[in-house]
Amino acid sequence: MSIVGIDIGGTFTDLVGYQNGAIITSKTSTVPADPTEGAANALRIARCDVATMTEMLHGSTIAINTVLERSGAKTALITTEGFRDVYFMGRGNRPDAFNLFFHRPRPLVPRELTFEVRERMNAAGEVLTAMETKTIATLGEQLAKLDIEAVAICFLHAYANPVHEQAAGEILRKKHSNLFVTLSHEILREFREYERTSTTALNAFVGPRVSRYLGKFESFARSANFAGKIAIMRSNGGTMSIEQARQEPVAMMESGPVAGMIGAGYLAKFLGIEQAIGFDMGGTTAKCTLITNGIAPIEEGYVIGDAFTGQPMQLPVVDIIEVGAGGGSVAWVDDGGGLHVGPVSAGADPGPACYGRGGENPVITDANLVLGRLNGNRFLGGGMSLDKSLSEKAIDAKVGNKLGFNTMTAALGIATIADNAMSLAVRAVSVNRGIDPRDTTMIAFGGAGPLHAVSIAREISIPRVIIPKLPGNFSALGMLMANWRQDFVRTLVGELKRIQLTDAKRAFDDLRQSGKDALARDGHTDGKFEFAADLRYRGQEHTIAIPVEKPEDLSSDISGTQQKFNAQHDRRYGHAAPDQSIEIVNLRLVVTIARMQDVIGAWLSAPWQPEEVAPEQRRAVVFDDPAKPLDARIVWRPGLAAGTEIVGPAVIEEPNSTTWLPPGDRAVIDPSGHIVITLAEHN
Amino acid sequence: MTTNIQVNPITAEVVRNAINAYAEEMATALCKSAYNMMIYEVRDFCCGLIDIDGRMISQNQGGLPIFLADLGVAVKDGIERYGLDGFHPGDVIIMNHGGVCGQHLNNVVIYAPCFHDGKVVAFAASRAHWVDIGGMRVGFGSVQTTEIYQEGIQFRSLKIYEAGKRNDTLWQIITDNLRFPDAALGDLRAQMASAQLGARRFAELVKRYGTETVSSCIETIWDRTDREVRSFVAKIPDGTYEAQSYLDNDGRNLDLKILIKVKVIIDGERMVIDFSEMNDQVPGPLNSGYSGGLAAARIAFKNVTQPQAPVNEGCFRALEIILPEGKLLNAKHPAALGLYSIPLPTVIDTILKALAPALPDRIPAAHKGDMGGCSISGFRPDGQRFLLMNIFGGGWGGRPQEDGESASVSICQGDVRNAPVELQEIQYPFLIEKFTLRQDSGGAGQHRGGLGVELTYRALQSASANVNCERTKDPPWGLNGGKPGAVNAATLIRADGSEEKLLKATGLPLEKDDRLIFLTAGGGGWGDPRKRDKKEIAEDVRTGMVSQAAATRDYA
Repeated sequence: MSIVGIDIGGTFTDLVGYQNGAIITSKTSTVPADPTEGAANALRIARCDVATMTEMLHGSTIAINTVLERSGAKTALITTEGFRDVYFMGRGNRPDAFNLFFHRPRPLVPRELTFEVRERMNAAGEVLTAMETKTIATLGEQLAKLDIEAVAICFLHAYANPVHEQAAGEILRKKHSNLFVTLSHEILREFREYERTSTTALNAFVGPRVSRYLGKFESFARSANFAGKIAIMRSNGGTMSIEQARQEPVAMMESGPVAGMIGAGYLAKFLGIEQAIGFDMGGTTAKCTLITNGIAPIEEGYVIGDAFTGQPMQLPVVDIIEVGAGGGSVAWVDDGGGLHVGPVSAGADPGPACYGRGGENPVITDANLVLGRLNGNRFLGGGMSLDKSLSEKAIDAKVGNKLGFNTMTAALGIATIADNAMSLAVRAVSVNRGIDPRDTTMIAFGGAGPLHAVSIAREISIPRVIIPKLPGNFSALGMLMANWRQDFVRTLVGELKRIQLTDAKRAFDDLRQSGKDALARDGHTDGKFEFAADLRYRGQEHTIAIPVEKPEDLSSDISGTQQKFNAQHDRRYGHAAPDQSIEIVNLRLVVTIARMQDVIGAWLSAPWQPEEVAPEQRRAVVFDDPAKPLDARIVWRPGLAAGTEIVGPAVIEEPNSTTWLPPGDRAVIDPSGHIVITLAEHN
Repeated sequence: MTTNIQVNPITAEVVRNAINAYAEEMATALCKSAYNMMIYEVRDFCCGLIDIDGRMISQNQGGLPIFLADLGVAVKDGIERYGLDGFHPGDVIIMNHGGVCGQHLNNVVIYAPCFHDGKVVAFAASRAHWVDIGGMRVGFGSVQTTEIYQEGIQFRSLKIYEAGKRNDTLWQIITDNLRFPDAALGDLRAQMASAQLGARRFAELVKRYGTETVSSCIETIWDRTDREVRSFVAKIPDGTYEAQSYLDNDGRNLDLKILIKVKVIIDGERMVIDFSEMNDQVPGPLNSGYSGGLAAARIAFKNVTQPQAPVNEGCFRALEIILPEGKLLNAKHPAALGLYSIPLPTVIDTILKALAPALPDRIPAAHKGDMGGCSISGFRPDGQRFLLMNIFGGGWGGRPQEDGESASVSICQGDVRNAPVELQEIQYPFLIEKFTLRQDSGGAGQHRGGLGVELTYRALQSASANVNCERTKDPPWGLNGGKPGAVNAATLIRADGSEEKLLKATGLPLEKDDRLIFLTAGGGGWGDPRKRDKKEIAEDVRTGMVSQAAATRDYA
C-alpha cells in the first residue's frame, strides 16, 4: 500500500508519502496563484509515483485564508423574522474591555443581504408559524438578481426541527443550481443561534471558492493518473471525502495544526504513555495539547482570527493552545526597559537576522545560534547557511545595548523568556484538565520544538521528553495516520433521570441514523460509533463530555454516568457536588473508521536502521551561564544506532531539526529510533 | 515590599508572565465551574493576586472593568481583623460587607492566604456576583430599599474554612438565607477552588525565586507601568477640565434628577479626578461606597492611558481621586447599595467628556450609558422557582476616526454576553419575538453613533419582572457638533393592548401574553453631521441603519 499526503501552507508545500516500504518527503514553496502547481512540484521532487498510490490526503489553508482575507463569495443570509441582526449583533461583548475604540467581529454577510422569512419554531421544535414556500421562491429570484453566489440559512430552533430549513433549501437548490446553499442544521444541530449562524455563514462564504479549488485539485490528481481516494483533513483531527469537503468546507478550517498531534497520539499509544503533551514549535507559533491514552481532546468551537474580533466557528476542533513564540518571534525592549519576546514574528521574509535577508530584528533562532545550540552550517540539512555575526549584531543593537547586557547574556535572556512563556502554555493544557505535568511525557516536534523541549520540560518538571523520528516533517506525517471521522450533535436538554427514555432513545436513534447515512454516502459499511453526553450540574453553563452508550445511561440507570461526571468535574475543577442533579445539554456521536493498514504507524514503530554516520564534533554551547559556555558533543542523529546513549551537554542534529540536551540529561535512541530523554533531576 | 534588590529584566519578565497567567488560570477555573449566568455568561467576576499590604499584584483580563483593582480593600479588612499571623494554610475567607466593599451584597469576595516558609506572602482572591443574597428582591437591586439591611445578608471577613475545616454554622446560615442555595454554594466552591489554585501557583513562584526577588520583580513591574502611564499623562495639556450630566432618578423617587459633576485636573504627569461637586448620596439604592467612585475614576483613567496592558497597582499611581464621604459614589454606611453600578457608565462618560477638549483625538461621544439588562422571575407549574437574567448592548458614541459600534455592552462591562435567544426559550417560559438593531437610534454626526437594540419578550405564563432603565431622559450626548443618540426606553404592553412606559420597577407582575419591549439607547454622534461623507449616508440608508426620512432630516 502506498499513500501520500500533501499539506499546502501559506509559505511551504509539504509532502510526506509511503512508497514501496519507504518514507518519501519533500518541501517546496507554495505557489499562491495555483497551489496545484506547488503540489505538482512537491510530487516531482519526492519522486512520488502517483499512479501507484491508493490514497491521497490533502490539507490546505485555503478555507481559513479565505476568511482571514475576507475574499469569499458574495453571500446572503436568510433568518427568521424578527432576528435579522442576530449575526450582526453577536453576543454584544467587548473582550477588549478598556479599549474605547474596540471593534466587534465584522459579519461576512452585510446587513442589506440579510433577509427575514416569516416562520417560527419553538424550543420544542413545534411549528408556531408555518413557512410559506412561495416567499422562498420569491427570495430566490431576488438573490439571483443580486448575483449572490452563496446563501446561508439559519432559522431559530432549526436544531430542534429542521423542516423549514429543509424546505427552503430544497426550493433554492432545485431552482438555482449555481447557488451554494448551506443550511444550519446540516452543519451543526446545536442551540445558540449566533454561533450557529456564524458557522453557517462561514461555510457559505468560503464554499464557492474552496469547492472550485478542490475540484481543480481533484482534476490535477486525476490528470496525474491518480486513481485512488482523495481525503481532506478536517479540524476534528479526522478526514472526510473530497465530495463532502466541497459541501462542508468549514470543517477543514483548522486542519493544519492538528495533524502533528495525531502522530503524537499514535506515538503515545505505541510507547504506552497515558498522559502525553504534544508540543509543536515552528516558525511563528508554538502549539501544545494534552494527549490522554493517545487521544487529543476536542473542543466544541473556537474563534477564527483574532480572539477579540474573530468569527466564531462551532464545529469540533482539536483543542490546541497556541502561543506566539516560534523560531521567528522577535525580541524587543519596551520604553520602560522591559524585555519581551513575540508575538510579532519576522516570518519567512526577511526572517531571522542570521538569514542575511535584511532582517534587523533579533529572533529566537538568532539567540539559539549565538548560544551555540543551533548549527549554522547544518540548517535545513545544510540547504541554507546562517550568519552568526548578523545575529550578534541584531541582538546587540535591539536588546543588549539597551539593557547593558553583553551579546551572550542578552541571547540567553531571549531564550529564557521564550521557554518560560511556552512552559506556561504547556502547563495550562495539562492543569486545565486536572493533570499534573509531573505525570506527563512531552512529545516534541516541529522544526524548533526539539531545541526548546527539554528546557520547557525542566521548567515545569516534566520528567521525560520524546523526540520522534522526522520531527521536522511530523505534521505532514501525522496527516497520513488520520482516520475518517464524522461528528454529530443533537441538542437534548433536561435533567438526568427525568429525561424520558423515549426522548433519549430518539436522540440516539437519530444520531445513529445520521452516522449510518454518512458512512453509506462515502461507500463505507462499518464504523466505530462513540456517543457522549455534554453534562453539567444544574445551573452551570460549561459542560463536560462524558462517554455514554445507550439511552438508559441518561434516563433509567444513570449511576454510572453520574459517577463518571462527578469524577471528571473533581479532576478538572478540584471540586464536585455528588448531591446535585446533573443536566444534559447535547448528545454527541463520533463515527470513525480506523485505517485498514496504518503504514505510517508501522514505520514509526518499526525497528530503527541507522543511516549514514557523520563524525562527532564539539562546540561551545551556553547552558545557564553566559560567561561559561560548555564544551558540548555534537552528534548526527541519522547515524545513531538504537540503544545509543548520550548524556548532555550535547546537541543532536538532523536534517530538519536540532535537539538540545542540557548537562546531565540523558538521551537514549529507542528500538524504533525515537529519542527518549530523561531529565537529570528525574534520573 | 522592598525594592533594594537589583532586578534582572529577564527574571522580571518571567515573573510578569507568570503572575498574569495565574490570574487567568484562576478565572478559567472559576468561570468553567460556576453555577450562575452572572458569572459564566455575564462574567460578573474578577480574580487576582493581592500582596500582604492589600495591593494588586495581578488581575485577570476580560472580566468586569468595574472590579478594577479594588479587591485589595476586601482583603485588607481581613488582614486588619486577623493580623497576618492569624491566617493558617487551609483558611478561606468570605467577605461582602457593604460598608467596607461599597458594592451590592451579591458581590462576594472569597480569598485564601498563600504561604511560603510558614509565612503569608500573598492572597489569592476572587469577587463574583452570586445570583441571590437574600433581601427584598429575587436576585438583586430592589428599587425600594433605603438601607443595606434590606438588601440581603452580610459577611464581614469570616472564615468559611479554618485550617481546612469547614465552618458548618456559617455554611448553614448561607444555606438558609439565600433563595438559590445550590447555586450560591456551587459558586462558593468554584471561587474556593480558584483561590486555592492561585495561592498554590504563587507559592511555587516564591519557592523558586525567593520572596525578595519576587517582591522586587513585582515592584519593578509596577514602577515600569507607572512610568509608562506618567509619560502619557504628561503629554495631556495641563489644566482643569469639567463636565456634568444627569441621571434620571434614584429608583425610589422617579422625579429626582441626579447631578453627575466631575472635575479633572491635569498637573504634569499626574491626573486628579475630583468628585467634590457630585450629587450627595440618595435615599434609594443607587449609591455606592468609595469603591464605586474608585472604579469609575480608574476605568476612565485606564481607558485613556493604557487600555490594553494588564492591570496592576502601578496602573493607577499617577491618579489621585478626591471623593468626600456622603457623596453618591462614597455613601455612608448603611446606605442602600443594591443598584450601585447603574450610575457608573454615566460617571465614566462624564469624565471622558471633561477630557475631550484636552484629548480631541482620543475621546468618543457618549455611549448608551446604562448597564442594560432585565431579570424576570417566577414559579414554574411544578413549583420550581426560575430567574431569567439577560444583559443586552446598546450604541457606542461616534469616534474621532470612525462610527461608533452598535449593540455593545457598556463601558463598565467587558466580556459580558447577551443570553442566546434559543437558550432563553429552552430554559424559561418566554417567547422572544424580536431581537434586532434599533433603526435611527444612533446620533447623527460626521461619525455616526452606534445603534441600540430592540428586544421583545412575550410571557407564556405569569411572572414578575425587574426593570432598571436609566438615561431615559438625558440622551447620550454628541461631541464636537455631533447629535445625541436615542434614549433608553421600555414599554409594557398588556395582553389587552394597554401600554405602560417603564422606568424602574421591581416585581412588576406579568401575565400570559403580556409583552415587555426594551429599546436601548444609541451612541452620540461625533462631529458635524454636515461633514459626513455622502457615501456613508447612502450606505446607512441602504443597510437600514438609518431610515430615508431620518437621513433627509439629519444630514440635509
